[in-house]
Amino acid sequence: MSKEVSRRDFLKISSGTAAVIGTSCSIPGTLGALGNKAIQGSDKFIRSYCEMCSSRCQIEGRVVDGKNVFIQGNKYVKSMGGSVCARGASGHSQLYDPQRIVSPLIRTGKRGEGKWREASWEEALDLVANKLGKIKEEFGAKSVLFSAKTGEHHGHMLTFANAFGSPNIFSHTSSCPVSYKIAFPHTTGSGMKRDFSKSKYILNFGHNLFEGISVSSTKKLAKTAASEKSKLVVLDPRFSIVASKADEWHPVKPGTDLAFVLSLIHVWLRDEKYDKKFVAESTIGIEELKASVSDATPEWQEKITGIKASVAENVADELYKAAPKCIIDWGHKTTTGFGEYQRTRAIIIANALMGNIEREGGIFFAKKAKTVNKLAGMNIAPDITNPDKHIKGSKTPRIDGAGEVGENIFVSRKHGVLMDIPEAVLAKKPYAIKGLFMIRHNPLITVADTEKMRKAMHEMDFIVSSDVYMSESAEMADVILPEATYLERDEGISNKSSKAPAYMIRNKIVEPINGTKWSGEIFRTLAKKLGIDSEYKWTTVNEFRTAQAKGNFELLKTLSVKGYASFGIPPVLAREPKYVQAFVDKYPGAADKVNAEGVFGLSKLKTPSGKIELFSQKVEDAFPGHGVPSTKHSTEVAHPGYPYILTSGKTAIHTNGHTQNVPYLNMLMSDNPLWVNPVTAKKEGIKHGDLIYLENETAKEKATVFVTEAIRPDTLFAYMGFGRTSSKLERTAGVGTSLSKLLPLVKGPVCSTMITNVGVKIVKV
Amino acid sequence: MNNMWGSTAQYEVINWPWPIAVYLFLAGLSAGSIMVALLVKWNRHEGEVSTIWDAMVKAGALLAPITIVIGLLLLIIDLGKPLSFYWLLISYNFTSVMTLGVLALFIYTPIVMIFMLLIFEDTFRKIKLFSILVPVIEFIKSFHNFAKVIEYSLFGIALIVGAYTGFLLSAVSSFPMWNTPVLPLLFLTSGISAGVAGNILVGMLFFKSSVNKESIKYLLVMDLRVIMTEIPMILILFVGMMYTGGDSLLAAKDALTTGVWAKVFWFGVIGTGLVLPLIIAFTALKNHAYRVSYIMINSFVVLCGVVMLRFYIVYAGQLFTGV
Amino acid sequence: MSKKYRMIHDENLCIGCQACSVACRSENNISDDVFRLQVRMETKGTFPDLKMNFRRQSCVMCEDAPCVTVCPTGSSFQTLDGIVHVDENTCVSCKYCVVACPYDARYMDPIIKAIDKCDFCSENRLAKGQLPACVSICPTDALVFGDMNDKDSEVYVKSNTHYTLFPKAHLGTKPKLAFVPNKKGVNYE
Repeated sequence: MSKEVSRRDFLKISSGTAAVIGTSCSIPGTLGALGNKAIQGSDKFIRSYCEMCSSRCQIEGRVVDGKNVFIQGNKYVKSMGGSVCARGASGHSQLYDPQRIVSPLIRTGKRGEGKWREASWEEALDLVANKLGKIKEEFGAKSVLFSAKTGEHHGHMLTFANAFGSPNIFSHTSSCPVSYKIAFPHTTGSGMKRDFSKSKYILNFGHNLFEGISVSSTKKLAKTAASEKSKLVVLDPRFSIVASKADEWHPVKPGTDLAFVLSLIHVWLRDEKYDKKFVAESTIGIEELKASVSDATPEWQEKITGIKASVAENVADELYKAAPKCIIDWGHKTTTGFGEYQRTRAIIIANALMGNIEREGGIFFAKKAKTVNKLAGMNIAPDITNPDKHIKGSKTPRIDGAGEVGENIFVSRKHGVLMDIPEAVLAKKPYAIKGLFMIRHNPLITVADTEKMRKAMHEMDFIVSSDVYMSESAEMADVILPEATYLERDEGISNKSSKAPAYMIRNKIVEPINGTKWSGEIFRTLAKKLGIDSEYKWTTVNEFRTAQAKGNFELLKTLSVKGYASFGIPPVLAREPKYVQAFVDKYPGAADKVNAEGVFGLSKLKTPSGKIELFSQKVEDAFPGHGVPSTKHSTEVAHPGYPYILTSGKTAIHTNGHTQNVPYLNMLMSDNPLWVNPVTAKKEGIKHGDLIYLENETAKEKATVFVTEAIRPDTLFAYMGFGRTSSKLERTAGVGTSLSKLLPLVKGPVCSTMITNVGVKIVKV
Repeated sequence: MNNMWGSTAQYEVINWPWPIAVYLFLAGLSAGSIMVALLVKWNRHEGEVSTIWDAMVKAGALLAPITIVIGLLLLIIDLGKPLSFYWLLISYNFTSVMTLGVLALFIYTPIVMIFMLLIFEDTFRKIKLFSILVPVIEFIKSFHNFAKVIEYSLFGIALIVGAYTGFLLSAVSSFPMWNTPVLPLLFLTSGISAGVAGNILVGMLFFKSSVNKESIKYLLVMDLRVIMTEIPMILILFVGMMYTGGDSLLAAKDALTTGVWAKVFWFGVIGTGLVLPLIIAFTALKNHAYRVSYIMINSFVVLCGVVMLRFYIVYAGQLFTGV
Repeated sequence: MSKKYRMIHDENLCIGCQACSVACRSENNISDDVFRLQVRMETKGTFPDLKMNFRRQSCVMCEDAPCVTVCPTGSSFQTLDGIVHVDENTCVSCKYCVVACPYDARYMDPIIKAIDKCDFCSENRLAKGQLPACVSICPTDALVFGDMNDKDSEVYVKSNTHYTLFPKAHLGTKPKLAFVPNKKGVNYE
């Protein structure tokens, strides 16, 4: 049978190549133009971590005859169980996609026209360095804007921008996780994790782990949800996959989670059914909280969310009974309505009231090396460091005023507010922006009001895009620097500490095709060419890794073989007796840290008071009236006043705007039809399969109707990332609806989140 | 457009498209045609040794081999791997109706061609192009003692060919409309009906001089009787599906009421193929009136009905499965 | 003792993510745009009383396989371990088996033109003592596979501790794929 397989292989490759030569050959710089001779690789299982989404699950890739042919979970990581999701398994479909850009490109026609010529890396990098240098000379380093999705490449970009002298560094954070990234420091001092596998009651606010997959969490949640011994309650405007696995699904009105959470808190405080001891010992602000939820009755929330008052009473009761083995889940993408920040803070507060902090089945802080070393009183886990942290950023004010007094005061200077860019650029306020450097970022699909961003891009003198495909944003560039895909690059060490310290590393599984480069090398080389690299302490990736590991070769060796390192340390939950006991048994040096109740207890938190802040003076000072979540905080959507609210969400097949053109994934899902409830369809006189327009003040965008019962009658839903316009994304260009087009450039209060729930009306064709 | 996600394209393909429907028609026509020719030969022909054959016999001897060869060629072309077709002839699986059909056709096709050679012996002798066949004919005639046995066997194998087309479909349990023993009966009777109509048409068009009015009347009566049995069989097919319930009931409802195929059924199969011949029989051809044009029209509509029955069963069976 | 394979698809754990479909495609070099395996999702009911079912769409490896019965050349055959294979050489692609399969499991490969279907990764994985690709890759461990003759195997234990059904059992095909029906959502059955 193997003879047939190789014959089939040959036929498949040759027919694939034939098609490639017919179509993609005309696209300069693509893998298709090079044919199969470009592919070489090694021949064993290599361990790394995925980048098909930002869950970054640990994987291992099997290489046969120089080609990466299979990807599965890293077997050294128990929580992966050898699994990956459809996107992870499709990594090599992206790697070998003939439509991928593998050669640097320099624009020859007008901006956005799509005319390019191939160039060598030397020429392209020289050009970039040259142009950036000129802009710096004439307008100052501050007039170059840098943007990247978060990840290691963002770190390298940050270091370069710091060395370059520009303060205008952006990530995708304001369009995705910003609410909880800021709500957590305000409430508990740092981010927290969820102990799904041991939880008995999970209240999930649209945290769709079954479509926005993170393998280890998804596996745990799936088993918990399927178990008779635990209960999952999901609030989601659509019947998503996580909703379908719930014991109770409540179709909440989009963006109104805050009202429901406030009513739970109201019930608990009313009946005095919360962890009073924990609240008294470890939190501040209970009085302010009591005042703010005094009218947040279940009846009040029913009018806002559409969920019956009895449900709120019931859920509050059941949560209290299950506490502390319960989780109120804040989700991941937390940028939907204006109430997002307060809603996320209210959820964290709800967890605190249930006393599940650092308890089994509750939520907990990541236990990094420093923490456990201190606990044990000796070095039981190696620590890593950032080799670039000494390269300080510019203190010049940014165009969005992030981190400065004003509406963006709490936003990090590393991440910024994307929605402020187009206006600032077009109005040249506070100063002109002449250059844009984007890496792994496609704001023309993922950020609100894409057309305004496009206009802003036309104002730039010089745009660089580092991407693997010709994305819409790459189309607008002057120079395209093709980054090596994650399967082709060695990268640094990442901290994956959970209940115990752990690290993962990216090891390249195949040699980079046609010399595509790691982001670290791109920025390092540019820094050298610009003569701004005096502070860099490394040149190659191995030097970078060694510096991260502080010279710990044992750690580096383990990581290069296993892709993952953990240290046999028992999991630590600081307020759970049996975990504390297990830790002390192994490390007697920790015995003196155990208190009278037999636990370590909560140490001093990174909040101003050192405790969990139910009421935050810091926030109240900056934004009066916002110091504690209350009934007066708006849960509106962008463009209120239209008949329908358009929402979006995750799908298990695609990642945001990244994967629509990947062959394996495009075969499974090639379109994003609009979910319309049958009642709504009848009212509008539209049928399944009809072409319609969605319209609001910002834009008018086409959509295809998909009639389904799985959505509220007043809500419309479509998966995001479609509606592509780049013609070089041949499989997906022109198909589907671009949701971001319809979003206006508005921001939520306190942490300036993007708003993705938007009002629209349906217009028949 | 996707249903959430996932591709349904490969599940919506019609795996047995029009070539199969045409083949089933041609096989049925061939079998029916030769059976009709043999019946006329046995019952209507005066004398054992006359070589002036009745037009119906000649028509059968012409139609049967030609249609079966065209049908087989269509089958081969329809294969996904047509160049591998020889495997069908050398590798057998006796649990498969298709293998049994191949074997039956292996026997049927040469014999029906021999029949053609014998009936048109005079024509072959006259035309120089076919001179190489003359020794073959001589060889065959040397077996004239077995002529009756061979003829009866030919009738038998034609019956098998006519019925097997129905068994081919009825062996498929996944399509409610096919999975019934009524189908082989229906196809056999429909094939005989087509054979009658085909022979009459071919005979009246090409062998006018040998047409025997009594033979024609004999066949028209036969056809009428066959049509009268087809109608209850179709009724039983659908009533049976309804009483089976579940998927079958849904499939029957859909197939009789949905889209273009329901129209093909009611206007084509029933209207043109069954009702119209009955009307012609009881009006224009009443009391066995011999009116050539009406007889030809009658034969034509019968043939159309048979074609549409095959198309309907093949397509509607695959499209309407009740899920 | 010959193998008595069984695969169990737990619809409660399955999230329809299609990782199994992609892993199968990877492992077996499936041609573009055709599938040996998918999970089909179906939402039933009227808002807000809904249920979503997750059905594995692939060959169920019948003991009494209609595809083996109808194949004219014997190219569709069954080995002693119960796996149904296709011999690409003798397959003429008449599609009788595609039509006869009650589970819509078979399809014509657009490149080699022979018929293809899931074979539990018998050559590339079972033969090496490994699990089929779909089973090993599933992010929620919804698939369990093994030999029912081994009383310690995961699949034996799961068959005896969970309520399992066989798809289209009334047809008498005796499939080797069983499923644990979906308990969540509003009950319609």
